[in-house]
Amino acid sequence: MDLIVISLVLVVFMLLMLALGVWVSLSLVSVGVLGLMLIDNGQIGLLFGTTSWGASTNWTLTALPMFIWMGEVLFRTRLAADLFEGLTPWLSRLPGKLLHVNVLSCGIFAAVSGSSAATAATIGRMTLPELKKAGYSDRMSIGTLAGSGTLGLLIPPSIILIVYGVAAEVSISRLFIAGALPGLLLVFLFMGYIIVWALLNKDQVPQKDTIDLSLAMKLKTLKKLLPILGLIGFVLGSIYGGFTTPTEAAALGVFGALLLAFFTGTLNLTTFSASLLGAVKSSCMIGLILVGAHFLTLAMGFLGIPRALAANIGNLDLTVFQLLAYLTLLFVILGCFLDGISVVVLTVSVVMPMIEQAGIDLLWFGIYIVLVVEMSQITPPVGFNLFVIQSLTGKNILYIARAALPFFLLILLALILIYIFPGIATYLPYSMAQR
Amino acid sequence: MYSYKDRLYLASGYLSGLSIIIIMVVVLAQIVGRMIGYIVPSAEDISGYCLAASIFFGLAYTFRDGGHIRVTLLIQNLPPKARFVQEFIVLSIGLLAASFICWYSWYMVWESYMFEELTQGYIPMPLWAVQLPLGLGSTGFLLAMLDAMATMFRGGLPNYTHHEDQVPLEDL
Repeated sequence: MDLIVISLVLVVFMLLMLALGVWVSLSLVSVGVLGLMLIDNGQIGLLFGTTSWGASTNWTLTALPMFIWMGEVLFRTRLAADLFEGLTPWLSRLPGKLLHVNVLSCGIFAAVSGSSAATAATIGRMTLPELKKAGYSDRMSIGTLAGSGTLGLLIPPSIILIVYGVAAEVSISRLFIAGALPGLLLVFLFMGYIIVWALLNKDQVPQKDTIDLSLAMKLKTLKKLLPILGLIGFVLGSIYGGFTTPTEAAALGVFGALLLAFFTGTLNLTTFSASLLGAVKSSCMIGLILVGAHFLTLAMGFLGIPRALAANIGNLDLTVFQLLAYLTLLFVILGCFLDGISVVVLTVSVVMPMIEQAGIDLLWFGIYIVLVVEMSQITPPVGFNLFVIQSLTGKNILYIARAALPFFLLILLALILIYIFPGIATYLPYSMAQR
Repeated sequence: MYSYKDRLYLASGYLSGLSIIIIMVVVLAQIVGRMIGYIVPSAEDISGYCLAASIFFGLAYTFRDGGHIRVTLLIQNLPPKARFVQEFIVLSIGLLAASFICWYSWYMVWESYMFEELTQGYIPMPLWAVQLPLGLGSTGFLLAMLDAMATMFRGGLPNYTHHEDQVPLEDL
């Protein structure tokens, strides 16, 4: 059969399965099986056995359940409250005051948790009621939370960067380090926007809640932040310094998180098993998706679709900018219906040869794709951060999406900045020590 | 309280959790070992095998709890009858796929057993033994699908549909 016909059949089959509500992981497996059947491959089952074994015993992938578990443990501690209390006195002078707490707490929590839903949920549970009590506009509180919740994807450790790294065979240590500066860039963009907004809308920011503490008191509140900052410094420092692999840093991180929970008195048998089962659910779901994606990538390789696609795109003489623009459009559309991890594994299995052919740095592309996924997290109809905030506030999803719109545009701005100055993503990883 | 079936699902979850704990312990042992000059043999291989075990052991538990993601956007507002038919088709496809996974996981284990293959690491282990969790876990997955199918034959929507509308992190 003609390659174009096969590709079309597979695309339609995939869309049909997904739309019908077949689990993403099993859709990937089924499309792989169908593809191999179309070219009369007689070894389908054996190929599946080898790939599933290879994909699920990947040593780099062991970082995944560790980092997920770490987030689940910290989710059940007093961490969010400590962040709120520790940060508030320091931000009361900035225009926008408590709104910055949203951004910074999310940024800090993102540095210990790998998922944006976890980040938005943990921080929002704490900050949204406080902001409401202090009289901040709902729209701005929700918008800042939705926007900065997505930092969980970019600021290392990041689950989605692990998934990309494993699927595209890029060093996860380097990816993590590459995410750091763009993450900070986003934090600054968000805070800058809040300052400008607060100066323009003085009437919507409560004026009286300024509690000016003495410096001694301020330093005292900072002590609450020490354990968490220590944990972040330890995990990221050891990866950047080349002392540990990401997996080792993750294991140390879980251990540190358990210690932290123990000493703050939030660790008991119930929270321990709840965090463990929570980690099981997420890592098992992602694990099966990766098994399916590996199998699909292999099937695609047998079919030769990615190669043909790369050659065709090569013939079109697209500039890098045009190629990226088309891909962004594709990702945004996919992101409207699929979650970030599925978007990444689906595209990596087809798009990678094309990216390499165009001479795009795979490390840089990882950061780029995560930024696009971040945007899709806060666009309806399927945006996980929107769902989280919906269940936190009970507000209509379209209202939340509108509140998040300025932050969507700010992420887009960051995307453009990283396109113009690729060094924001690539400088640190190429200067780090590698173990 | 818990029925025997609930216990089985929970056992699937805890077996997977135990594998995650073993990964942590092995990796920590490797770090400590490096500091005192002792090399934990095959640490990377063992944690890899535990990862496979944790993914496959947890399949049934995750399935029943609605943990495996799918696109619910188009199906969530279907009228009850259409929804039932759609869920029946999806579950049938799921059964096919799970049978495929289960069959070839066991096939792989059986082949490793027949050829008496050993793992390639520092400590050679029989390959079939470390592959066994894939067979067992995918069997659990298949049984969970059959259980959901049984629920449908009794006229109800499967258990996983009840949990899906929730946000992944509980107690919000």
